[in-house]
Amino acid sequence: MLRLENITKNFGKAGVSGANLHLSPGEIVAVLGASGSGKTTLLNLVAGLLEPDAGRIFLGNEDVTHQAPEKRGLAYVFQDHALWPHLSALEHLLLVMKTPDRALAHHLLGRVGLGGLDARKPHQLSGGQKQRVALARALAARPRLLLLDEPYSALDPVLREELRLEVASLLRAEHVSALHVTHDPDEALAVADRVAVMDGGRIVQVDTPAQVYAQPQTLAAARAFGRLNLLSVEVQGGQVRLNGLAWAVQGVESGPGLLAFRYEDLAPAPEGLPAKVLAVYGGRGERLCRVNLGVGEAVVKLEAGLGEQVRLAPRGRLRVFPGRPSD
Amino acid sequence: MLPRQPLTSLFWLLLSLGVALPLWVLAWRGLGDLAILPRVLDLAGVSLLLALVGSLLCLGVGGGLAWLAFRARLHPGWDALLLPAYLVPPFVGALGFLYALQLVNVQPYGVGGILLAWTAHYAPVAYLLLRPALESKLAPLLVASEVHGVTGWKRVRALVPPLFPALVASFGALYLTLLGNFGVPAVLGLPAQVYTLPTLAYARLFSPASPDPLGEAAAIGLLLGLLAVPALLLGSQPTGEPSPRLLRPRLGLAAKAAFVLFALIAVVFPLVGLVRRALFNTFTGAFQPAFGAAWELPLVRQGLLNSLLLALLATGLLLLLGLLLAPQRGALKRLRQVLDMHYLLPGTLLAIGLILLLAPTPVYATPWIVLLAYLLNFAALMLRSIEAGLESGIERLVGVGKLFGLRHGWAWWKIGFPLLGPYLAAGVFLVLPLCLAELTLSAMLYAPGSETLGVAVLSALNGGLFREAAAIGLMLMALSLVLLLVPRRGVVG
Repeated sequence: MLRLENITKNFGKAGVSGANLHLSPGEIVAVLGASGSGKTTLLNLVAGLLEPDAGRIFLGNEDVTHQAPEKRGLAYVFQDHALWPHLSALEHLLLVMKTPDRALAHHLLGRVGLGGLDARKPHQLSGGQKQRVALARALAARPRLLLLDEPYSALDPVLREELRLEVASLLRAEHVSALHVTHDPDEALAVADRVAVMDGGRIVQVDTPAQVYAQPQTLAAARAFGRLNLLSVEVQGGQVRLNGLAWAVQGVESGPGLLAFRYEDLAPAPEGLPAKVLAVYGGRGERLCRVNLGVGEAVVKLEAGLGEQVRLAPRGRLRVFPGRPSD
Repeated sequence: MLPRQPLTSLFWLLLSLGVALPLWVLAWRGLGDLAILPRVLDLAGVSLLLALVGSLLCLGVGGGLAWLAFRARLHPGWDALLLPAYLVPPFVGALGFLYALQLVNVQPYGVGGILLAWTAHYAPVAYLLLRPALESKLAPLLVASEVHGVTGWKRVRALVPPLFPALVASFGALYLTLLGNFGVPAVLGLPAQVYTLPTLAYARLFSPASPDPLGEAAAIGLLLGLLAVPALLLGSQPTGEPSPRLLRPRLGLAAKAAFVLFALIAVVFPLVGLVRRALFNTFTGAFQPAFGAAWELPLVRQGLLNSLLLALLATGLLLLLGLLLAPQRGALKRLRQVLDMHYLLPGTLLAIGLILLLAPTPVYATPWIVLLAYLLNFAALMLRSIEAGLESGIERLVGVGKLFGLRHGWAWWKIGFPLLGPYLAAGVFLVLPLCLAELTLSAMLYAPGSETLGVAVLSALNGGLFREAAAIGLMLMALSLVLLLVPRRGVVG
């Protein structure tokens, strides 16, 4: 459906460098990355709003690298909706349809939960309703590919979670391919078949969300999903020694590095590393403790009380990335 | 073949030179008549001093009102008390003051009258320029000062310097306007032999005693241009985001009283003068409206017809230009920048330049030369209005339409132009009344048969037909006040 070959765009800090990506028909790929990592630039390159300095963009078998946006057959759901203030919800859909079909437009508005609000103009709609109009407009255009740029970031948490699940199932039902830019790992986990993690303009890993979460290939990919502890360590023979205990690690065979582990990667174990609970947080349906491991502090998913002494050991082999904490 | 970029640059260079041609011709001719300058230097001094003092007065009154409104958190609806003074054409306001002051036996002619009429007319401009600056720059600083207990002289030191750019830009805009103003000195200065450079240029142009009226007028125009140019460098009015309304209202009563007092002095007082003179017999005091007598004057009928036609034609053509250029924002902006010179510099320069340029052509002494002057003078206003619309995000929404597959023209037709509608309307309601009541250009460019309403008022005054002049002035004032009812969009002048 979409193929990016070595796309490069010098665009200040948020440029794109040698990006390669492939989307299959009906697939939803989330582009995840920190602010300034180049993800919106990548989306605008695909949309044709920017032209790459190098590389090629294919939609199907067609090279659209230098094609005008209006000829690419895409649809775009913007963070700020970008609705036309003088048009009603229904008129938004009719305007982008190749052959205006009122019945289909009514049907699509109903599908996104806007039945009966066809005549409302943007200023008469709530934030969530506006985003639903934007989505219905995108579907009405019958796009080859749907682009979504942080579409739910302006919504409240409840509406955000509700809408992203609805939209993802709607896109799958309509068999629409989508490139979905977000900085929210929960959103990527919820909606995407695959995740492309961007860092410094480069796509550093493309895989299923679960795989990127569990097996990040770079520190940036590990950071993209959050819930991450980093400890400065020295690796020797594939092991790190912490207060006399040896933990087998992967990623670095020997030398300095950053031991990266998620909140749930350590568990209580009788022979584990001694740790003291410094603070207890109420997480989302879980209990998180800040603990002093003797070699540094970390946040761990743990059932323990404040000040309690515990022993912790990794559930599996932890990963070490080359670098220092400031990286 | 030259590459595209240099060709484009060449096109804009040639266009800029072409648009500036009247000024080049004026400068060339003026340089040839520099001998007159020593004789008019004292008048240039008067003009400069009047413009400087007038600007300071406007800034003081307008800035004071803006400060009071800002401190009192006055609702924008109160602006309706200030705006009528600005919407009434300056020469009509001057006419009103002339008659009103005569009612209370005060001699209105001369420097005092000019400064009074200017302050009444242009203080609202200072208010409109400074109030947003106060809101955006001062509000957060004032909140911080109040919260942290910064008072007295320390507070002044904390609050005033950030306002300097806005004050300087506002002063520059006012100075340029007053320096080039013709109507007020024509009504309140000429009868008392008090000249400013625009009225002097006008007087020399029509002086039968002058051996070279055009050359002298050009030299005076050149001097006027030289006095104006420094103000062009003072920069444009900075704009900002509106402030959060965290400030506790203070001085509410004083602010409201000041607004009412200003409206009484700047609007009601001249209005009473016009009404008294237009509706009542000067000698018997009997109710005897002068509208019929004014309408009987061929010059008034001709002036009204010409003003209407010229205003509609100029506005329509500029609207068309704006519509054509809207989809090319870059070109629109560049053209506006090129045309800014004729909007910002005194109209006297453009008028004399056009006479010099077009005197040998059949266009001279026809309404077409007035139309051309209106187009050059007011184009920047219309284009600014459209530019404000484009900068409000319309262009992006058209881009979104194109992203969804709409063709360029269709996207503009269905999205861009409808969204630009309010800005186009704002442009129309800016340009149309200005053309209708225009005096500086038409007073210099008119010929028998192409007089405008402004010229008719001036002629009536010169001919001693004071009641008829008052009647026309009253009509123009009423027309201007109707514009208060028209919703406006923010176009920073």
